[in-house]
Amino acid sequence: MFDSDPNLVMLRRVAKKDSTSFEQLYSATSGILFSVAMKMLQNKDLAEEVLQETYVQIWHSASEYQTGRGKVLTWMVSILRYRVLDLIRYNKVRKNEADATSSEDIALEDDNEFLQLNEKELLSRCLGELEGEQHQAIFLAYFKGMSHGEVTTHMDKPLGTIKAWIRRGLQSLQRCLSA
Amino acid sequence: MRLSADAKHELAAQYVLGTLDGPARKRFEFEVMQDDQVRRSVWYWEQQLNQLGENVKPLTPERRVWLAIQQRLFGTPAVSSGAPVQNNVVTLQPKQSGWWKGVAALASAAAVVLAVLLGRVEPPVPAPQYTEIAFFQDAEQSPLWLLELSDDTLSIRATERLTAKANKDYELWIVAKDGRAPISLGLLPKNGQLTLAKDKYFDELDIAVLAVSLEPLGGSPNGSPTEVLYTSEIITL
Repeated sequence: MFDSDPNLVMLRRVAKKDSTSFEQLYSATSGILFSVAMKMLQNKDLAEEVLQETYVQIWHSASEYQTGRGKVLTWMVSILRYRVLDLIRYNKVRKNEADATSSEDIALEDDNEFLQLNEKELLSRCLGELEGEQHQAIFLAYFKGMSHGEVTTHMDKPLGTIKAWIRRGLQSLQRCLSA
Repeated sequence: MRLSADAKHELAAQYVLGTLDGPARKRFEFEVMQDDQVRRSVWYWEQQLNQLGENVKPLTPERRVWLAIQQRLFGTPAVSSGAPVQNNVVTLQPKQSGWWKGVAALASAAAVVLAVLLGRVEPPVPAPQYTEIAFFQDAEQSPLWLLELSDDTLSIRATERLTAKANKDYELWIVAKDGRAPISLGLLPKNGQLTLAKDKYFDELDIAVLAVSLEPLGGSPNGSPTEVLYTSEIITL
């Protein structure tokens, strides 16, 4: 299923502690991972720190990867995002810039992100079918690492409403993705 | 966590998205470790939602990041295949108060990513109502021992990831926040599960971390940890 995954060969070699393949994997993927970290943290130093931790973990954990986890890049993004969420939630690292960003800025940025998705991808179509508020709340949580409370503040809506938007948005996504 | 399969699948989505927060997130991570179906739900949502991350515009990091990674993994910026990696063995210095803080912070950070890295873990056995958990992970953040605390028992499970040294034992310690010398709780099992009466110190002391030390067979020869390998905070469910 993932034989065409260009990163899989490199990761398998990394699992055998091939440092040359590790550097190739880094070259091929670090731009994406750093971009995700920057979006979530909006702080270059922290994003670099998380990126470093993520690749150290990938080096150690390459043999843990199984194709059931999805594409290699998906797995790597997962590792990075959990680390960023950890940094934000448990170490109380919170960027103030995100709170100062206007809803219009976020909406514009969301649109730009959305355009980056391959239109043929199912996720792209399913996200497009979400109601506007659900779509924005999920994007804020995903790309800004915002908690329910932070999305509430940002969108200026009651907590219950935000929770319901995200919950229903995810349910709609699942229905669409599995249809 | 007595939830329907649908509810767990929904929690998995919130977990991957990041909106599952606080103690609920910790509880769910523990569930991920034990429940194969929950783990597969997490994987499903990772594959769906993280397509978002895969499609962002790449942003090339500074060269110094790669150099720092090389430095950490290989001890030098010059990559050489098969270079030894750093281990994370911590040398315990009992008289140096606060030594555990940095280690505990690392343990906490590692705990959150534990869930995504787990392979197969033995299914849980029927157990008392556990109120607290802890787990020790190796450098690759694979779980080695899972600890569950109820009101009156301490249950310790060695995972299949543990490759125990035959000529050594592993000893469990309480490290109190008040700086007193670590208190031994006995030897850890090298395989399977062990349930003990909960030590009174769990209720009497303000505990900083639990620690595992590498010891000669039979345990510490002098009542102090010989070489601390791992630490874990206690997580309240």
